Amino acid sequence: ALQLLRPKPVPKRLKTSQRKPREPQVARSLIKEIFSHFVKIPVTRDAFKVVEKCSERFFKQLSNDLEAYSNHAGRKTVEMADLELLMRRQGLVTDKMPLHVLIERYLPLEYRKLLIPVAVSGNKVIPLK
Amino acid sequence: MRCTAPRSTLRKIIKNHKPQLRLAANADLLVHLNFLLFLHRLAEEARTNAFENKSKVIKPEHTMSAAKVL
Repeated sequence: ALQLLRPKPVPKRLKTSQRKPREPQVARSLIKEIFSHFVKIPVTRDAFKVVEKCSERFFKQLSNDLEAYSNHAGRKTVEMADLELLMRRQGLVTDKMPLHVLIERYLPLEYRKLLIPVAVSGNKVIPLK
Repeated sequence: MRCTAPRSTLRKIIKNHKPQLRLAANADLLVHLNFLLFLHRLAEEARTNAFENKSKVIKPEHTMSAAKVL
């Protein structure tokens, strides 16, 4: 393991200095924090690396999907409805599990307020279409 | 758990993949929510894998096979 680890740092440092605009990605610490919060049991270092890779792939897929959805609707902007549709396709939002329940369950209060200023029912606060 | 979403980072990531795509206001929050739920699923899947292998820790292979399921 030591042999594998040692020669790495030198070329890596060169690489980062060569291409300055680093690809934006969610902070590793945040991914780690969220993931370990959900699994509740110890996770090895290498397993976290796999999770990071998965996250990158997730965002790539997400961008493709969102593009397809908004193009399909003839828009250039991704609307809330596109994301709701996406989550419905993913099986996250269902009839038994509406989007605002997920929002209430997973997002902190300050964000919840932005997404559901008043409870969705009847009110036209969140444009559903 | 830290509860702020890396909003500008999320926008940057999508911008990086799809430069011409615009995000409506607060749509990035739903992207964050989607990401949280994705990690949640991955975590659940990896955990059941670990339990099936009678492992007390999550190893790379557990997350790998979890990722394949999703």
